[in-house]
Order: sequence, then C-alpha cells, then structure tokens
Amino acid sequence: MAKHNISFKLNGQQVNALVESRELLVHVIREQCGQTGTHIGCETSHCGVCTVDLNGESVKSCTVLAVQADGSEVMTVEGLAQNGVLHAVQEAFMQEHGLQCGFCTPGMLIRAYRFLQENPNPTEEEIRWGLSGNLCRCTGYQNIIKAVKVAAEKMQSV
Amino acid sequence: MATTAEDLAREDKLQGLGCSRKRKEDPRFIQGKGTYVDDVKLPGMLFADMVRSPYAHARIKSINKDKALALPGVHAVLTAADLKPLNLHWMPTLAGDVQAVLADEKVHLQYQEVAVVIADDRYIAADAVELVEVEYEPLPVLVDPHKALDDDAPILREDIKDKDNAGQGPRKHPNHIFSWEVGEQEATSRAFDEAEVVVKEEIYYPRVHPSPLETCGCVASFDKVKGSLMVYITSQAPHIVRTVVSMLSGLPESKVRIISPDIGGGFGNKVGIYPGYVTAIVASIVLGRPVKWVEDRMEHLSTTAWARDYYMTGELAADKNGRIKGLRVNVLADHGAFNSHAQPTKWPAGFFSICTGSYDIPVAYVKVDGVYTNKAPGGVAYRCSFRVTEAVYVIERMMDVLAQKLGIDRMELRMRNFVKPEQFPYHTALGWELDSGDYHTALTKVLKAVDYEGLIKEQAEKRSKGELMGIGVTTFTEVVGAGPSRNCDILGVGMFDSAEIRVHPTGSVIARMGTISQGQGHQTTYAQIIASELGIPSDEIQIEEGDTDTAPYGLGTYGSRSTPVGGAATAMAARKIHDKARKIAAHLLEASENDLEWDIDRFKVKGVPGAEKTMKEIAWAAYNRPPEGLEPGLEAVNYYDPPNFTYPFGAYLCVVDIDKYTGEVKVRRFYALDDCGTRINPMIIEGQIHGGLNEGFAVAMGQELPFDAEGNILGNTFMDYFIPTTMETPHWETDYTVTPSPHHPLGAKGVAESPHVGSIPCFTSAVVNAFAHKGVTHMNMPHTSFRVWQKIHELSLDKRE
Amino acid sequence: MQVNIDKSFPIASSAAAGWAFLQNIPGVAGCMPGAEITETIDDKNYKGKVKTKIGPATMAFNGDIVIKGINADKRELRLIGTGQDTKGTSTAEMDLTAWIVDADGGGCELKGKATVTVNGKAASLGGRMMTQVADQILNQFGQNFINNVITLGGDAEAAEAAKEQLAEQPKELNGLAFAWSVIVGFFKSLFGKKPGDTA
Repeated sequence: MAKHNISFKLNGQQVNALVESRELLVHVIREQCGQTGTHIGCETSHCGVCTVDLNGESVKSCTVLAVQADGSEVMTVEGLAQNGVLHAVQEAFMQEHGLQCGFCTPGMLIRAYRFLQENPNPTEEEIRWGLSGNLCRCTGYQNIIKAVKVAAEKMQSV
Repeated sequence: MATTAEDLAREDKLQGLGCSRKRKEDPRFIQGKGTYVDDVKLPGMLFADMVRSPYAHARIKSINKDKALALPGVHAVLTAADLKPLNLHWMPTLAGDVQAVLADEKVHLQYQEVAVVIADDRYIAADAVELVEVEYEPLPVLVDPHKALDDDAPILREDIKDKDNAGQGPRKHPNHIFSWEVGEQEATSRAFDEAEVVVKEEIYYPRVHPSPLETCGCVASFDKVKGSLMVYITSQAPHIVRTVVSMLSGLPESKVRIISPDIGGGFGNKVGIYPGYVTAIVASIVLGRPVKWVEDRMEHLSTTAWARDYYMTGELAADKNGRIKGLRVNVLADHGAFNSHAQPTKWPAGFFSICTGSYDIPVAYVKVDGVYTNKAPGGVAYRCSFRVTEAVYVIERMMDVLAQKLGIDRMELRMRNFVKPEQFPYHTALGWELDSGDYHTALTKVLKAVDYEGLIKEQAEKRSKGELMGIGVTTFTEVVGAGPSRNCDILGVGMFDSAEIRVHPTGSVIARMGTISQGQGHQTTYAQIIASELGIPSDEIQIEEGDTDTAPYGLGTYGSRSTPVGGAATAMAARKIHDKARKIAAHLLEASENDLEWDIDRFKVKGVPGAEKTMKEIAWAAYNRPPEGLEPGLEAVNYYDPPNFTYPFGAYLCVVDIDKYTGEVKVRRFYALDDCGTRINPMIIEGQIHGGLNEGFAVAMGQELPFDAEGNILGNTFMDYFIPTTMETPHWETDYTVTPSPHHPLGAKGVAESPHVGSIPCFTSAVVNAFAHKGVTHMNMPHTSFRVWQKIHELSLDKRE
Repeated sequence: MQVNIDKSFPIASSAAAGWAFLQNIPGVAGCMPGAEITETIDDKNYKGKVKTKIGPATMAFNGDIVIKGINADKRELRLIGTGQDTKGTSTAEMDLTAWIVDADGGGCELKGKATVTVNGKAASLGGRMMTQVADQILNQFGQNFINNVITLGGDAEAAEAAKEQLAEQPKELNGLAFAWSVIVGFFKSLFGKKPGDTA
C-alpha cells in the first residue's frame, strides 16, 4: 500500500507522519503521535468522542483521512490548557460536574471550545444545538450544558 | 457535632460524607490523560480482529485461512479447531451454560465469532479478516421466542440437545433453558378467583443494549519467561475475570493479573466475559507477544451483552376500593443462543421477584421461562440490578391499568396500596425483606411540587380541545447491593466486597477496593467515607481500584453494589482503624479508652480541655511507639458480606405533550424524587440521576434491537440505535428524601440505577395516559413518533377539522 | 431480510423471441446490472459474479446460479442464485421465476416473481432501502432484457437503437447512479399509500 509523508501542526507542534492513503486521522493522532485524549466510539461520525479542531472547525477525526490533514492545524483536548493553565471550558466541566466516565469529555471539550468561538454568548437552546453532534451516556447533558454556559460567562468576563 | 466556627472549619476541611466534593477523577479526564484500554500500547503489541458470520444459523462447511496467512504482517488465524486441543473453543458462562469462543462447526447468531486474525496493526488485521474464506450451509432460523418450544422448531444447541438440565434446572425442550417459579401458585389463583376486580395486560419489554461510548476490549500480555499473564480489560468485575481466566487457562491465579483501567461507561455491558477477550489471551500465550482486541460499534451492538427481551403477562386482583389482593406474572424470556446473562448463580431471572414493588400485596406468583433463539447471548442488568427494570416496569404498568379499570386516580391507588412506614422491615409475598421506606411522603412531596391538581385540570381542558397531553407516574422500589453470600454468588464466589485501608505514618491514606468505577466517581466518594470515619482530609486519601495484584478481592461494580457493599466495607475497615487508633490515643493520653470521645478528627479526654490527639498524631505513634501488646502500623481490611440488600425508592412524575399529526412526544416536565438513604456526595448523586433518567428516556422513547425473519440484526449502528443527543434530551428536575437503610453502616443504599429503572415506566405511563380517555391501557416501547402516530391514527385522532 | 417482488415488462417483440432470449442464461444474467456469468459448468449450473459500487464502497458477490426448471409450454424459467460477498460479511439469494406471455395487440410481456434474501452486513445496514434497491435493479434488468429481445427481433431500426442503449449500460451496478431513482421510489411509496395503510 502506497504511503504518504504528511506534516501538520498538532497542538502547536509540527509533526510528520508516514501514512497509508486510507489511514484515519484519529489513528494517526492516537497511535503515531501518541496523543490518546481523542477517543474512538462509533466509526460512523455519530458519537463525537473523536472530535478535534481542524483549521478552526470541529471535525470528527474518525471519518477524516490523515492525508486530508496534511498542512493543516489540528487541536485536540491536549492542546486546550496553555502553559499549565486550564482553559475555561475545562475548569467549567470540573466545577459543574460535566463529566463522569470521561470518555466523551475530550470531544465534548474541544467541541465546546470551538462552539464558544463561534457563539461567545449562547442561550441554552443554542448550546444544545451546538453540542448535538457529541453523545454522552453518563451525564444526561444537563451539567454539560451548564458547564458550557459557565465557561461562556467566564470567557466573557475576562 | 460541630458547633463552633472552628469546628465547622475543621469539618469542612475533611470534605467528608454528605458534601458535594469536586471529583478527583476530573483533572486527568479533562486534559485527555485518562487511560482507557485502547490507550494502552505495549512494546511488540499485535492486533486481533474477528471474522464473523453473516448468517444467524448455519453450519460451517469449511474455513480456508491460506490467503489471510499469506498477507504480510499476519501472524496467526485461529479457529475453533485451533482452540480445541486447548479445550478453549467453548467457555463456561456465568449462568451455568457454555458459549462458543469461536464457532464450533455451527454458528448460532449473526456476527458470531468464527475466526480471529492476529496481525501487526489494525489495518492489516481488517484486511486479513476479508481474506478468510468461510463456507456456510444456512439452517432454518429461530427468531421468535414464542416458537422456540414448538415441536418443529429448529434445534439450536446441538451440543446440549440431550441434556435435561442446562445449568439452571430441568428443561422440557432442546430450546428450553429453564423454568423459574416463585411464590404461591394456588393461593394466588384463589385470590384471583375470589377477587372483585381482575386486570390483565400483555407487556413486551424490548431488547435493548447498554452501549457505553467505549466499546469492549482488552490487551493481553503473556510473559513466557515468568509464565505470567497480564490483561488490561474493560471489566466491571476484574477479580472474577482473574478467577475465570485462571480456571480456563490453567495458570495459577497468582500468575494472572487483571487490570481494569479507566472505563468509558459500563452500564452492565462490561460484566461478562466475551470471546474477544479469550482469543486475545490465547493468542498472546501462543505468540508470546501482547495482543490488543478492541471491537467496533457494530460488533459491540451485535454481539456483546444486551438487556431485557421479556414478554410479560401481568395480572392484578383487587377489591372495588383498589386494595390489591394478588399479583401474577408470567414471563417468556428470550436469552439468545447461549445462556450468558450475568445474574447471581441461583437467580436465573435475577431479582425479577421484586415485582411486588412498593405495595402491600398479600399473595403473588411469578413464573419465568427462558428459551434459546438465534440471537446474541445476554440478558444483563442494563443500569439496574438484575432484571429489576423489568419487574418495576410490569408492576408500575399494572398499577396504572388497575387504576384505569377502577376509575380511581393513579396516585390515590398507589397511596392506598403502599407499604406503610410502620410496616418496615416489610416481608414481600415473594420473599424480600424491604429494609426501609416512606413511600407516602415521597409521592406527596412530588404531587405538591408539580401541582398535580393543576395538571389534571389542564389535561381535562386539553382533552376537551382534542389535544393530547399525558401525565406519567411511577413509585418504584429497587433492590440493589447484591448481596448476602447465603443466596448470592457468581461461579461460587460469594457476592461480598472489600476494602483495604492503610494510614501512612504522616497521616495520609491509600485505600483499595474490590469494586471498579466506570464513571461513578469512587476515587472521590470512597475518600469521603474514610475522611468522615477517620478525620483525615479527603484530599490526603488516595483511592485505587481495578488492579487485581493490589486490590483486595471483590465482585465489582454493577447492580448498584458499590455503595451498599463496597461502601460498607470501606466504613467497616475504617472503623477497625478507628478502634485501633482509640487504643493508641488512650495510651498517648494516659487515659482509659472509655474516657475518650471522638471529635471530627481527634480523640479528646472527656472533661479535660486540651487533652487530645489528632488522627495524624495517632498515625505517627502507630509507627513510632505503639502501646505494648499492640501491633505497629495502622491498616485494616474488611470483607463485607451484607446482611440484606438495600431498597432505594422514588416517586417520578412526567408530563408529555403529543403532536397528534406527527406522533412526536415532547417531554415537557420530568420530576424525579429519589430516596437512596444517606447521601454521600449530593453533586455526584444528582449527576448520576440525570444520566440514569437520560438512559431511561433512551430506552422508553427509541431504543430497540430488532431482527428480521432471517435473524439479521437491524439496529446495530448509531444510525439506527437511538442514543439521545442534547436536542432530544429533556430538562431534569430532581428532589430527594432521606430514609436511611437500617442495616448499612452508613445508612446508604445505592442510587445510580434508580433513575433508569424508575423513569422507563414513567415515560410509558405518560404516553399511555395521553390516550387513556380513549380506553388505551398499554402501549409497548419504544414510543417513537411513528409508533405513537400509528396509535393516533388507529384511534382517528389525527383528523383535521 | 427478505423481499418479494412482482414485475412485468411489456416488450414490443414476439413471445417466441422473448422466450428464446429467456433461455439464454448468460444473456439473461448479463441483463442484471453489474452481473456476469464467469463459468458455465453445465446447462443447469453456472458461476457468476455481481459487483456493486456505492460511493467508495464496493461489494462484490461471487455465487452460483442453478436452473431449477425450464418449462417450454409455459415459456417459464426458474432459477436460484446464491452468492457471498468476497469480504465474507454478506450473502444474498434470489429465487426467480420468469415467464413470457402474449400481450394484447401483438408483442409480449416478461413477467417475473422473485424472492430476494439478504443476510449479514448488507441486511443490517441496507435493510430499510432494500425493497427500493431491488425494485430499481429489476427495472434496469427489465429494460436490458427488453433491449436484448428487440435486438434479436425483426425491426432493424429498433434493434439498432436497443443495441446502442445496451452498449451504454455500465458494467457494474453503480449505486450512486440509481440512488436518485431509489429515493424517488421511496417517496412515491410513502405518499402513494392510501390513508389507513400502515407499514
């Protein structure tokens, strides 16, 4: 199988990888780059646990080919905290008990991060819509929605 | 009792029992630093992938693995024939049956494991799976359990067709697994014969799947030099896995180490032992290299443990005033192709006999028949104690049906039949001893909170305008915390649980339990229990679970057993330490033990101000100069065998509005009052209730695993299988009362499953109630828009004026 | 997953020509989009393959065709085709009876009754569209069959046109190409129902 050299920025660091044409971005991030915060849940783009930020857009990395990420900027949950300081969405998820088993959390956080860039002051209805591509089995979403609201307020007040 | 500001500050610092302590698990999860099975990467690790059957029932004529083996990067292709010499082609199930690890001459269900491929990476493994050539001869398929016992039904289990017992009592047909009866059949019949009113309803509880977001998987690593096996595994019960692996492999249990790392949700799905685990272990032993097997979502939904699939006939006998005189329930249970439900050994239908509910019912009789069909094996406790969801569903449905028949308000009917507070401990007609409860108070509180009278009025107005509004109710009692080892075991191991606590010389603590968290927050809550018992701040208490080399033996986490059993063990172990600490304190303070009193975090000599020793000082002394005759050190282990189960309860109310043209059901309000006895961490309790309600919503409104006539499973991707998103999920309102368990050391009962168990019949109750004025008494789940619309249409309620 | 399909295709040609072509098994198989006979074992047994492409996914079925009966009096053919996809995840079986009848006003009609059974992933994933997909496949089959019969027939101009149409046929069953007709068919089936019908 033909392999391709690709290069992209992962959480601010330039990475190079040799990948097959069919190789999925999530596998490259997890297995070649060793950043296992991004998870795999359904392989059909339904559950959102593999959500990453690709060039400023939320994508489900289980249905993005690694070669498509060549030359791009990718951000995962590992890139949220800056210089050891947690991002407001991370703080808010902890404070509002927005997670339980933690499996959906990385995708949920990276989606919440992007959503709040798109809509810094959302209503509950807008949060529900904005996060509807990410499934959670543990929390019943209520505290996740609360956490995103709290994070928005926190980011607004800065 | 803390009274002064200084006392309160000291107590706050402990972050003990009853406070909403923030979770200690969260920092790693929010930074992507959790370690789930698929995150484990060992040097030289290979990947396993499965060849699966497209047929639900077929004979395997041949398997050709030449092409797969010729693919570069493929290390092995194993079939039943390869496992046979090791006697590992079949494995025992927790229910006394056997299950094929890899299909042995015959497949019994669609997607059954036929061969396993081991390769360098997951892509090569997947390629090789496609190269394994299997020739099948299709056989007649048995899908409908009602036809399982027909004379001309295809015989599924040829391996046991001549056995008159498949591990759970006598059977009457090759496709029959067991008959289980509880209660007094004749006395119940008499009660029905003599009753003024009798109601009967056919109720189907569909097959559903717990489907945690993390699928099942493992990494098996056999060290040929040491002869030891280490397995990282998504298991809710790692210790029993160790025992089973030891029994199957012949390795001494001391050479088997099972590690349940972070688990991405379990919900009962991760209790059993699956062929994937066994084949990965065998492959690792054969190849001497670590082998990872992680299934995909389709494999997960198709072959791992599902729940329910009960065809129930409920009957209630009552007098004209609605006082219940008797209950009868008959069940046909579809267990799939192998009997591998995960219940305690002596309970083929789990705790289904809790189906007398919260009511004072003088006599009852229950019969459950289990049968084989060409479907995946299972029947596990999906976010509930064993078969309790089915039991609560049938009694709560029947209460509504009876109320409707009698024209008595459903709340009033429940009030008339509740077990009264003074009747506890209450012995049910089917043999349970309900430990504590106050059902009247709970329901009264809910009715007041939602303005029930106002809702009834509103509903009457809406009905007069031809609009569909439903009010649902459940007042459930659960049985959780299995269980007393006199009647609960798994493969002969009693269902106790354990805790081991070590207080270090400087007063911090490490504690290990036999349970395993899958999101419940044990690292947070167990520390709170110890903090309150020992007066050591929670933040200085480290909790570890899941590594069988370090944790004491326990039966794991499912059936809401962590708090009732593991939490009790934790309190009891802490109390042993507390007792020893008292001796040391008495020695240090040169006082009699009887003259000491405990005050938050220290022992004080009664009436002597300033004469006190904190637990920290005592810990140091335990290692530094323990009293003569007392062992140094400060640690304890407790194996807790509970004297009884615990019986959490609740009262739920749901309001729905139904669009009569589309059948869409909108949950306007859901009010859940739970009583789980003493509350350890209210924040975590509330979070778990939200989650349980949402899983209940999923089951009631959309989840099902249907099969076509050929045994093809039709709901095995997230495209078809309903997992609610933020858009469908209603807003949840929670409330509580506190009725402690009298026998639990902390008075706590277990909570996370109640909202699932209690909410499902509540949603059905609400949907059916929307049509009650048209004479509808029951509608089967799931209440999807299409199915609800069918009912509307059948009743001609969608006519436009 | 099993569907039963009844179809009829009017052919502007004689019944004799229709029946002649119906007995030409490789020819008939060739009418099935994406299908071909790869080996003739004897006059009752054939090996064949069907290739479907839906987006980037290709499913190739290899299988056997067994002629169960040829009834010249009734101009009727019965065959059973069974196949397994080359990845081992799905299987399909078709039990087909086809016959030629005289039509009013000259010409003839091809009539067919088929039971199609699909097992495995194709059933799990594609079950809900199966009736529509099978329907569309058979429509293409019918059109090809008609063209073939006309090619054999006497009308030179019609034969030429039919030949051209046949030449344009894709060599494999292209899922995307007829996805639109499947969707149209699906909606037709939804709205075509009389009130009171339920699925």
